[in-house]
Amino acid sequence: MLVTWRYKKRRSIIQYFDPRAWLIFYACFLVCTLLFWDVRFLAFFLAIALLVTFNTGIQWREMKRAWLFIGGFVLFFSFLTFLTGRGGIEFYQTEHIIRQFSAGFSILGWTPKLTISAEKTAYAISMMVRVFSISSMTILIPYSLNPALYGVTFRGLGLPDKIAYGMDLTMRFIPTFGRDFQSTKDAQRARGYELEKLSGGLIAQVRKLVPLLVPVTIHAIASSEDIIDAMDLRAFGIGPRTWLDKLSYQTRDRLLIAGGVAMVVMCMALSLLGVGKFWVPGFLIP
Amino acid sequence: MPEVDPLIIEDLTFRYRNRSEPALKHVTLQVPKGELLLVAGASGCGKTTLARCINGLIPRSYKGDLDGMIQVLGQDVSSLPLSHISQMVGTVLQDPERQILGTRVLAEVAFGLENLGWERQRILATAEEALDTMGVLNLRDRETFSLSGGEKQKVALAGVLAMHPQILLLDEPLASLDPASARETLERVRALAEAGMTVLMVEHRVEDVIRYKPDRVMFMSEGEIRYLGPLQGLEKAVNYHEVKLPVKMILPLAAADPPPPPLVSAVEAKPGTAPLVTFQDVAFGYDPEQSVLKGISLTINSGDVIAVLGPNGAGKTTLVKHAIGLLKPKSGQVLIGGKDTQDLSVAEIASNLGYVFQSPSHMLFAPTVQDELEFGPKNLGHPPDEIERDVKRALEIVNLEGMEGDPPLALSFGQQKRVSIAAILAMRSRILVMDEPTAGQDYKNYMQFMHSIMAMPGFEAVLFITHDIDMAVIFANRVLLVAEGRLVADGPPHQVLADQQRLTDCRLVPTTLLQANLENFGRTGAFLRAEALAHAIAPG
Repeated sequence: MLVTWRYKKRRSIIQYFDPRAWLIFYACFLVCTLLFWDVRFLAFFLAIALLVTFNTGIQWREMKRAWLFIGGFVLFFSFLTFLTGRGGIEFYQTEHIIRQFSAGFSILGWTPKLTISAEKTAYAISMMVRVFSISSMTILIPYSLNPALYGVTFRGLGLPDKIAYGMDLTMRFIPTFGRDFQSTKDAQRARGYELEKLSGGLIAQVRKLVPLLVPVTIHAIASSEDIIDAMDLRAFGIGPRTWLDKLSYQTRDRLLIAGGVAMVVMCMALSLLGVGKFWVPGFLIP
Repeated sequence: MPEVDPLIIEDLTFRYRNRSEPALKHVTLQVPKGELLLVAGASGCGKTTLARCINGLIPRSYKGDLDGMIQVLGQDVSSLPLSHISQMVGTVLQDPERQILGTRVLAEVAFGLENLGWERQRILATAEEALDTMGVLNLRDRETFSLSGGEKQKVALAGVLAMHPQILLLDEPLASLDPASARETLERVRALAEAGMTVLMVEHRVEDVIRYKPDRVMFMSEGEIRYLGPLQGLEKAVNYHEVKLPVKMILPLAAADPPPPPLVSAVEAKPGTAPLVTFQDVAFGYDPEQSVLKGISLTINSGDVIAVLGPNGAGKTTLVKHAIGLLKPKSGQVLIGGKDTQDLSVAEIASNLGYVFQSPSHMLFAPTVQDELEFGPKNLGHPPDEIERDVKRALEIVNLEGMEGDPPLALSFGQQKRVSIAAILAMRSRILVMDEPTAGQDYKNYMQFMHSIMAMPGFEAVLFITHDIDMAVIFANRVLLVAEGRLVADGPPHQVLADQQRLTDCRLVPTTLLQANLENFGRTGAFLRAEALAHAIAPG
């Protein structure tokens, strides 16, 4: 059986709006954030993301694992960007070096060096702010949207019945997969299997993951077949379906959508005018 | 003009694409309107395949060679789309978890009607009516994942009934239900048949269904019908060792046979030794606001064969997961051999305590049965010659010799369950814990492996969770009753199971075997299986 994300009705800025209106606004937010590299502009979107985050009514303990995972991921890749400067080359041609470090050893005549430049630093910060803003807004969705309304929400956004219901099932597949993974891990640990003691090279480690990966995969496939059978046995897909739940836009929803669309139009205009491109703060340049 | 029977099957044969032998052979059957037909038989006898042929999943979802004819309400189903058949034939699967799609109860029950494109108000009224018919209208706005097993089964049934099928197929609907939930489901089904619905109930728990007077019984074996007729003739047509019949039917038959060998228990009691497992005021909850276990204190000692009984959702599985350290108490302590589980890894506990999970699909992964069984002992560092010996013995116990080279994932559910039990037996732990070992197993198979497990030397204690009171009657020397996260009773079966009110409170229904044992306890001094009881109470 598919399980759902931990949804709760709460005093939340997201739940104040119709889920369709929020998803449209979310899409507008994504587009706008992706149009800019100037950290001053990105700070505006980060502020929106933080404002929403602190007004969702979700407790830290509820989201802790998701935040730690995503936060760790964002920090790791931002740091990697900072070390390598990868991806930023297309934005700047020259670099203003702040500090340069050389290792006290050489490998086959090559001495490892770390160059910290103003451009690399600014790029890594922009990247971090950008990804963090998008992640923050994304993490909140499963905690804030009522799982009972997934299907009708996607249908209301114009998707056909079958795809809308498919999206509903997909949204619920992720937490279900997590539950099945935990069950398999428990079953194998009860047979003396210790995930913590994986050793050897990459291939050896992947091979040692087989006791987890095979049951989880097979279970996912078997569950998918069960779902298809259960749907077929209740006449799914024979024609246009009625959705028992009904959503209706209120004035506030229309305002939110209008605000989102206006934001996209404005950001696109600014972007076309060349505003918001990569920017290096003056104080970083030596 | 006489009314045509809603279901007519003529000379039906089916072979799954990847099997050499047919799963059904020349099945011919007519089921009249309003009949409750019980379809019984051992695992792999073809009962589920028959249900899949009737509801159209064969050959649409399960491919193979199909011969013969199935007519539903006068229409040949081979020419009909599945969506059309599903409006005439409602199917409830063994495990409601595999059937429920909706996140809320009302949405689940309305799903089929939404697909038919009905008007919203009509859907709402019909869905509520179906919930009311099943006596679960109070669950209307609940989330489906929060329901107990019994509630899920009733909601799944309501979802099917809402579509007003003329034929209802129930594929082992009682498998995961506590006795009271099973009884309530059967009462509703009987009422549906009385109201004119044709019902085919595929079920292992023959004794439970018989109480609700099926109009006819069909017994299948190796894909063929061995018996089709009234209930009264069933005991003459089937072997009482293969099908669980009411004690009243078994006693005269068993009395005429030679007495069975005595039940051997090799579970060793070591007087004067410390408890193997100790629970000290254990409390636990998955969420801070919801307690699943409340103040549980008990010890498991050498020589104990413990049956844990209680309603769906009582906390039985949560309780035993604490014993293996998969869950740690929020307050209180669990000690294994005197050591706190907080300080032990699950792998360390596994060498002392083997735990057979409820669902085999979460653990099977190896390319062969042999590799699957070697996995645990290898992890525990057992020597190769011991592993070989223990694997062989485990396969004998679960009756899977000769299948060492078969891929576990290609076996039937019943066989997979036995592989999962053998995989733990091969680890040779001191304590064996099994979560519903008999679920989805036929009577003959589970009686056989339970006898073999009891006779297997080396276990100091065995604990099993079950909904089958007869398992406690036959095999246990101690019963734990768990309800709403509390330990309600703990003692020998003849004491714990004698209190009718307590059983009712824990949603347990006395079986005919329990009643016969309680009535004769003064003479026998012990709880006995039906075959032994027949000889113990025989005159002279």
